[in-house]
Amino acid sequence: MQYEAAEAWAAAYMAAAAAAGRGGGAGMWDPAVERVERLAAESAVVIFSVSSCCMCHAVKRLFCGMGVNPTVYELDEDPRGKEIERALTRLLGSAAVPVVFVGGKLVGAMDRVMASHINGTLVPLLKEAGALWL
Amino acid sequence: MDRMSDHRVGETGLSDSGPSNQPLTYGLHGFSPAGTNFFDQEGAAYFEELEEALMQGVVGIRSDGDTKTYLTTRPPTLEIFPSWPMRFHHNTVGNSQSAESSDSGSAQNTISQLESESPVSRKDDYSELFTEQQQQQQQQQMIPSDGSKTEIGTAGNHQSRDQDKRRLTTEKDGRNLDAKTLRRLAQNREAARKSRLRKKAYVQQLESSRMKLAQLEQDLQRARSQGLLIPGASTNGGISSGAEIFDMEYAQWLDENYKHMAELQGGLQAHLPDGNLRVIVDDCLKHYDEIFRLKTIAAKSDVFHLITGMWTTPAERCFLWMGGFRPSDLLKILMPHLDPLTEQQLVGLCNLQQSSQQAEEALSQGLEQLQQSLADTVASGSLSEDPKVGNYMGQMAMALGKIGNLEGFVRQADNLRQQTLHQLRRILTIRQAARCFLAIGEYNSRLRALSSLWSSRPRENSIATENSFAPATSLQILQQPVDAHFSVF
Repeated sequence: MQYEAAEAWAAAYMAAAAAAGRGGGAGMWDPAVERVERLAAESAVVIFSVSSCCMCHAVKRLFCGMGVNPTVYELDEDPRGKEIERALTRLLGSAAVPVVFVGGKLVGAMDRVMASHINGTLVPLLKEAGALWL
Repeated sequence: MDRMSDHRVGETGLSDSGPSNQPLTYGLHGFSPAGTNFFDQEGAAYFEELEEALMQGVVGIRSDGDTKTYLTTRPPTLEIFPSWPMRFHHNTVGNSQSAESSDSGSAQNTISQLESESPVSRKDDYSELFTEQQQQQQQQQMIPSDGSKTEIGTAGNHQSRDQDKRRLTTEKDGRNLDAKTLRRLAQNREAARKSRLRKKAYVQQLESSRMKLAQLEQDLQRARSQGLLIPGASTNGGISSGAEIFDMEYAQWLDENYKHMAELQGGLQAHLPDGNLRVIVDDCLKHYDEIFRLKTIAAKSDVFHLITGMWTTPAERCFLWMGGFRPSDLLKILMPHLDPLTEQQLVGLCNLQQSSQQAEEALSQGLEQLQQSLADTVASGSLSEDPKVGNYMGQMAMALGKIGNLEGFVRQADNLRQQTLHQLRRILTIRQAARCFLAIGEYNSRLRALSSLWSSRPRENSIATENSFAPATSLQILQQPVDAHFSVF
C-alpha cells in the first residue's frame, strides 16, 4: 500500500490548472472532480479513505487479501482532503468513504465494491487494470 | 343505604359497604352512640350549637341564599338519610379525594365547617355525607311546593330532635358512662378509623389502576394505528420498539416464506416448464430481498437486536455472523445438493465461494477494528477512579458515535448475503435454482426445529431415576442405548 503525500496532489493540481488554461469550457467541468479523476488514473487501484474509518479498513483488507496493492489517500491527513471530499460528493452524492477507483474508473462505495466482487466483475476489472496477476 | 354507596363510588363517599356505613347511619339518627366521633363530647356540643344556629335562621351549610328559609324551618337531623336516591352531586363534596385525619380532627372540621358558610375541604366522610344529604334534601325538598308537607316534616323533626336532645343531654350529663359503653365507643371509633384507612388505600389503588389503564389504552391505540396489533403483550410498557416491530415483520416473513417453499416444492414435483418455474423462483428471490430491506430499516433503530441475533432462534444464533447467515457457510452446505453441475457452473460457484469468503474476512476485520476502537474509548481514562472525574460524558458520546458504525457493518453483511443469493440465481439453471432455494429454506427450517426441540428438552434434574419414564425426545432415545452399552461394563 502506498500512501501518497501532498506532492502527487500538487502535481495533479498543476496539470488540471494547465488543462483549464488550455481549453476547458465545458459546462459541467469541475476542477475538483477533474483532479480526483486524474489522481485515480495514476494508479491501478485508488482508495479514498479516512484513517479512523473502520469500513475503510475493511476495504483495504479486502484488496490486500486479494493480493492487490492499492493507492490510499487519507482525506483527514491530506492537505487537499476537503476538496477531494467535495469532488466525491459531486460524483457519488455523498462524501462517505471509502470510495474505490479501479483502472481510473469509479467502482463506488463499499456496497458497490462488495456487489461487484460477488457478481464476479471486480476481479476481471483488476486484471485489466494490471492490479492482479494470475 | 346501598344506593348511596353505588352513587358515591369513585368519589369520596362510602365506596365500601363495610361497617363504616353503619355507624354513620346509626350515629346521625341519634338513637345510639354507635361508632362516630359525633357522639363523644364534641359531637354533642356540635348538635347543640347547630340547633342554636338553625333556630336563629343562620344559613349554616349552603352559601346560596335559596335555601335560607328552608333551613330555618327544617333542622337537618332526621333528614340526613332520606329515602329518595341521591341525584345531585355537587362539586362542593367532590373536592377532597381521600379521607384522612384523626378522629378528633375530623370532629373539629365538621364543627367548623357547619359554622362557616363556605364548604371547606373535607376531612371526614361523615361531614361530607352529612353535607351532601343536606344539599340533596334541600334540592328534593324544594320541589314540592306544598307547604303542608314541610310543616308535617318539620313537626316530626322537632319531635325527634327533642328526643335527640334529651338523649344527648343524658349522655353529656352522665359523663361517667359505664365501661361497656366507653369500650363500645372506642371500638366503634377504631372501626371507623380502620375503614377510613382501608378506603384510602382502595382509592389509591383505583387511581393507579386508572392511570395504568389509560397508559395501556394509549399504547393499544398506537399499536393499532400502526397496524401492528401484537396478541401477546410486549414487555416494556407496551411501546412497540424497532426490535419488536422487526420481530413481528420477520414472523410474517417466515410465514410467507413457507408458502414460497411450498410453491417451489409443488412446481418441481409437477415438473412445471421453465417459464413457470422461473416466476416462482424469482418471487422467492424477491421475498429474500424483502427481508434484507426490513433488516436495513431495523438496523437503523436497533442494531444490537440484529447483530446479537435476538430475532433468530438459538440454533441459528449459534451460526450467526454479523447479524445473519454466513454466505460461504451456506454455499458449502448447498454445493453437494446442486449436482449435477457443468464445468462452468462449478467454476462460477467456486469463485463465488472464494469471493464471499474474502468479503466476509474483510468485513470481519473491519468490525474487529471497530470493536477495538470502541473498547479503547470506553476504557479511556482511569477505570478505578470516580467516574465523575475526567470526561465521562465526553467518552460516552464518543462511544455512542462509534456504535453508530455498527449499522454500516450489518448493512454490508446483509448486502453480501443478498448479492450471494442473486449470484446463485445467475449461475444456476432454473431447476437448480428452484432446488437451491428449497434447500436453503429446508435447512433453515430444520435449524429452527432443532431450536424448538432443544428448548423443550427435559432437563437433567427433572429425570428422577434411570428407569423413570420421560417424554421421548430424539435425545432420550439416543441416550438409552448408550447407557445400556456402558452398563454392561
